[in-house]
Amino acid sequence: MVRRMALPQATASLLGVILGATVALAQGAPTVVSPPNPPAGPQGTEMPDPSLSPECRVPGSKLYTLNKLKAVKTALKEKRPVRVLAIGPTSAGTGASATYPVKLETALERSLPEVDIEVDSRGLQGEIASGAAERLRGMVAEIEPDLVVWQVGTHDALARVEVEAFGSALDDAVKWIKSHDIDVVLVNPVYTASMADDAYYTSIVQKVQEVAGREGVPLVQRYEAMRYLSGSSDKGEGHMFGRQFRLNDLGLRCMAEHVTRAITLSLLQPDTAVTGTPQPVLKTLPGSPPAAQAGSAAQ
Amino acid sequence: MREPNAIDFWRGLALVTIFVNHIPGNTFERYTYSQYGISDAAELFVFLAGWSIGIATRERDGRPEPRLRSVLRLLSRTVEVYRAQITIMALALAMIAGTALVLDNPLILEWHNAGGFFADPIQTTVGFVLLTHQLGFFNILPLYVVLLGMAPFFVLLARFNRLLALALSFGLYGLSLVMEWNFPSWPGEGDWFFDPLCWQLLLVLGFLAEDVSREAPRLRLWARRLMPLGIAIVVLGAILSVLELRPDPLRVPEPRLIFTFDKTYLSPARLVHFLGVLLAFQTVYGFVAGRIPALADYLAGLGRNSLAVFSMGSVLSLAAQLVRFWTGGGTLVDVLVVGFGLVGLSFTAWFVEWRSRRPRLPSSA
Repeated sequence: MVRRMALPQATASLLGVILGATVALAQGAPTVVSPPNPPAGPQGTEMPDPSLSPECRVPGSKLYTLNKLKAVKTALKEKRPVRVLAIGPTSAGTGASATYPVKLETALERSLPEVDIEVDSRGLQGEIASGAAERLRGMVAEIEPDLVVWQVGTHDALARVEVEAFGSALDDAVKWIKSHDIDVVLVNPVYTASMADDAYYTSIVQKVQEVAGREGVPLVQRYEAMRYLSGSSDKGEGHMFGRQFRLNDLGLRCMAEHVTRAITLSLLQPDTAVTGTPQPVLKTLPGSPPAAQAGSAAQ
Repeated sequence: MREPNAIDFWRGLALVTIFVNHIPGNTFERYTYSQYGISDAAELFVFLAGWSIGIATRERDGRPEPRLRSVLRLLSRTVEVYRAQITIMALALAMIAGTALVLDNPLILEWHNAGGFFADPIQTTVGFVLLTHQLGFFNILPLYVVLLGMAPFFVLLARFNRLLALALSFGLYGLSLVMEWNFPSWPGEGDWFFDPLCWQLLLVLGFLAEDVSREAPRLRLWARRLMPLGIAIVVLGAILSVLELRPDPLRVPEPRLIFTFDKTYLSPARLVHFLGVLLAFQTVYGFVAGRIPALADYLAGLGRNSLAVFSMGSVLSLAAQLVRFWTGGGTLVDVLVVGFGLVGLSFTAWFVEWRSRRPRLPSSA
């Protein structure tokens, strides 16, 4: 497990760099450093989100759909560390500094500078439709996180599992996690040009989206984001060791940022279920557009 | 070459089951017994490995062989299994990378735990050799390496006092369950897919069962008498499995692994179910050998050469997965890949025996 306390100076420097807003959650609750909606481009086209690194910039609508994260919000209010369990095929690799779980923790601590984030990561072997969902339950019971960030669908797609069986198993698993008051963020599988016309693969990607919508959990549209990035980084390289592989590398590097963006914006979703709690106050920096509908572009 | 026997037959069945189950999503998966019980072929494989150690560390007349010879024999087997694991992992990684290149599809690089190797090759190469980085479906042999490494201790202890060996093995199992002790994965977080500290109990049980059954015919008599109990456990396991009824790991009391159906830690429910399977199916070999000798010969042939067949099965099942992905799958593809695999396993067994039979060529040739 990787643990690192965020440094206040990192926050200060980040604030100086990004066009963003500082959001105080409520009554001395930790700060969420997260810019609101990016400015609209010419003719009303949506511009890539400027809070992301240049090579990872994707418009919000292609990147996420947002939803409430009640358990994380509760942890923030109680000022206790937020435990995140990152699950997925690329979740392994704490030996190196540049891997997804480490990047995720770093990015989350930048966005939530006064909060201690503890990211545990696990690779999940097997298909959700057969066995992996059961192992997931064991992992969640072991870690007891506040939030599960789940890259899902790759193994089932590789095994060509029947789409409906995959969808219902995923639905059950998400329901189960939520039933224990643990938040879930789903991340759908990678985009690759060689699979762009594969109807089966696209239906797996859509199924993840459908389940996220049905269960009301945030979704990081890794597929859409990578497709967008593939269009903007076309260097015309051919087959074998070509740009698909570079894109995959980029997809991995950007994923932590994309996931963090979806989480921080989801935390800004108004919590209507809880009465008497002050709503987040958005302090808009000069030059930023009104932030009241943070994340709504992605809905 | 030894004659077909029950141990080789069951080991052959475990090998075929593991091969089919390691091609997830295929049509035949639903016809394997693993789908209808709490335990699966992995338990059978490890238990029979223990049973085989019992046979291998005795002379033909049943007396224990000299201690040093047993230790060296087990050490030699450990090296063989380690070598097999390194070889099949290297082949698997090359097959995954090669397919990703040929199909120009980086999605394949995310195949069960392979992503770490390609994203982080420096650390993962070390983990690969230390067995702490395991690809999905390639985690049985690392378990086997550790179990064989532990085996000399239990084998020699059992010669001194069987009950003490059993008590120590059970104690280690119980403690590991309660304390959640396991070997760590590295690089990456998490633990081994099969916890050697828990699974050693099955190896020791297999070894001791062989030992006791040799000297105590009453054990066999009792095993027959308990057959109805075994059948009841198997039926209950099938019902729970089909209806997907299992304890919720976040609702069971602590220590939770005692109550859940956890494969990694060989939770008690899996162990009891497996013992039920042993009791329920103890007479099946005699029946099959009498009625369908060709099937008994086929499976026993695989079981006699289990390491080579298992290794080839691992590589063939990965190849089958890649073919299914590439072609889009379907019943016809499943028939072809599974059929080809079963023939391939049989050829492997035959080839190993042919190599051991043929006269050695001069090394200068």
